[in-house]
Amino acid sequence: MKRTRVLALFLALMLLTVLPGCGKTAENVPASGLGNGTEPVSHMELQYARQFSVDEYADGCRLITVQDDGRYLVVPEGVTAPKGISSDIVVLQRPLQNVYLAATAVMSLIDSLGVLDGIGLSGTQADKWYNDNAREAMEEGRIRFAGKYSEPDYEMILSAGCPLAIESTMIYHKPEVREKLESLGVPVFVERSGRETSPLGRTEWIKVYGVLFDKEEEAQQLFDQQAAMMEEAEKDEPTGKTVAFFYISSSGSAVVRKSGDYVAKMIQLAGGTYIFSDLGEEDSSASTTAMDMETFYQKAKDADVVIYNATIAGELDSVATLVARNPLLAEFKAVKEGNVWCSDQNIYQETMQLGSMVLELHCLLTTDDPAGTQLHYFYHLK
Amino acid sequence: METEAKSRCARRIVVLAVMILALLALIAANINLGSVRISLSEMTRILTGRAADATAADIVWKIRMPRLLAAVLLGGALSLSGFLLQTFFNNPIAGPYILGISSGAKLTVALMMVLVLGSGRTMGSGWMIVSAFVGAMLSMGFVLLISTRVNRASMLIVSGVMVGYICSAVTDFVVTFADDASIVNLHNWSRGSFSGISWGDIRVMTWVVLMTSVLVFLLSKPIGAYQMGESYAQNMGVNIGAFRVELVLLSSILSACVTAFAGPVSFVGIAVPYIVKSLLKTARPLWVIPVCFLGGAIFCLGCDLIARTVFSPMELSISSVTAVFGAPVVIGIMLKKRRGR
Repeated sequence: MKRTRVLALFLALMLLTVLPGCGKTAENVPASGLGNGTEPVSHMELQYARQFSVDEYADGCRLITVQDDGRYLVVPEGVTAPKGISSDIVVLQRPLQNVYLAATAVMSLIDSLGVLDGIGLSGTQADKWYNDNAREAMEEGRIRFAGKYSEPDYEMILSAGCPLAIESTMIYHKPEVREKLESLGVPVFVERSGRETSPLGRTEWIKVYGVLFDKEEEAQQLFDQQAAMMEEAEKDEPTGKTVAFFYISSSGSAVVRKSGDYVAKMIQLAGGTYIFSDLGEEDSSASTTAMDMETFYQKAKDADVVIYNATIAGELDSVATLVARNPLLAEFKAVKEGNVWCSDQNIYQETMQLGSMVLELHCLLTTDDPAGTQLHYFYHLK
Repeated sequence: METEAKSRCARRIVVLAVMILALLALIAANINLGSVRISLSEMTRILTGRAADATAADIVWKIRMPRLLAAVLLGGALSLSGFLLQTFFNNPIAGPYILGISSGAKLTVALMMVLVLGSGRTMGSGWMIVSAFVGAMLSMGFVLLISTRVNRASMLIVSGVMVGYICSAVTDFVVTFADDASIVNLHNWSRGSFSGISWGDIRVMTWVVLMTSVLVFLLSKPIGAYQMGESYAQNMGVNIGAFRVELVLLSSILSACVTAFAGPVSFVGIAVPYIVKSLLKTARPLWVIPVCFLGGAIFCLGCDLIARTVFSPMELSISSVTAVFGAPVVIGIMLKKRRGR
């Protein structure tokens, strides 16, 4: 019995040792200014984005604040970082070279700005890029694969002199990776454009990369172009057509976008009505939800247009292959009337083309000849 | 008789010496090999604190060293944990996860992902480690609770398997409410990895693993008596009830520690104790316990070297590699048992 008591004591002691070893929950510090008395001279005007803000300082420094994450002070080339700033602020000295990019949605923005040469390492392999310039850069060795976001090659990242790792919100599931990179002196910037509920909010993140890579004017112009395209599509009267956007998972359930998601908003901007108007709250981190076939059938069978989301489930080549995923789909109004479309697999990597996508959605909702309509991001299923 | 005893002793010393040499060789290989090439002369300077290249020094001291130490400590812990359970159940294919430890850990990790990350908040790695450890210990506690009512070891295995099923079912239920990112990352977590280990992690795991291993070693005598049968152990003054709880508890602490820091790592706990006993040609705890620890460390160091270098910079999960080398050993044990009947 004495030995058992000793063991119990040992166990209690051990738990006491392990528990204080816990990491702290990352907290947003919404402090104002740099913490050394310096206040911003102006703020970047943002029209749609809610997940970041940019404060402008007199010496050209920019303070990027990412919602519920970190603060990054971008210091122009030739300027010294101000002294005495808050310890939570990460200083990034321009020019940024050899950045490790593990957030696929960002490549489209970087490429549009023409600063692909700032990226030296990628968390995605060459054949997984739908962006031609990114794939080409990797094939030519200008960008090297440095391991996935979940298991990066720390040695390669460190030896490349990487000044910044750009990660998607997937990194929140692997906190030890973020902590390891930061302990090696590589700051981690979490790209939260996927949490924007407005498609233009997503596109507006180009302004963040404009700041990071010294292309602010170009970023503004590119954003304005996309905004103009969306506004053009929005000018027309709503078509009154209902749209179901989904895919069938390997377990047989229908996976649909939540009502507050940016895809639902794009459909709305294009003049359609997303068929699932009451799915989930806007502040939830998940953008999709799995639905049992019964509920899906009841809600979506009368949709005027069906768009199959090929990003995860893979592209389809005909209505027959769609129906093969679930024979119930043959009973859908859109299937019977030939209004079935499939998205390209690349739509989630093309963050900078959301305006063009809205125009295409508008086109597929208004065309009288679906079979004869040629689009870039969606194609008609026969 | 005396010559035979001497020859057995010599064999064990040779095995121990060879294993120590193998461990040193693998430590050297793990320090030297990686996606970045570091020359031998530079490596010598780094290890003696006279490094000229700060980046290379960081690679060695902040990336390779903590990782190889984790492989040594956690590999040893897993192997020892397996040996304890094999002794307890008197069954060579009883593994450290037979009592539902990995399922319990997976359940709490899934809960953390869904509750914390699903609500848009973030968490540090410490929370993941603690949640996995607590989940593992809770499932083990539940099995121990059952063991106080049921006195048969076979029923304990059934209880462990049932706890595992219940935890897996609840995990599946939790996953229903998880987003795609949580599902993918939970799957990755359950395949195990030594990547991303920090010096802070090493400090905690060293304390837990070494202290538990010392306690296991101190139990060598009652373990030896228990191997001769329960009645024999009882006659030798071993309190069987308390001893069984101690065995399960120590084994669980070791495997829970591994699961918390690296996720579930398969086959090490079954394959290594068997190989060690075959090499030593004895099951005497005084020899088997330290050599098992050494064997687990060697096995995991070798497997981790393969996992991180073969397809570099892409990394294999540690369980994929340990399964390739460990599964044939387990099949071999089963075939041998069948032939022995």
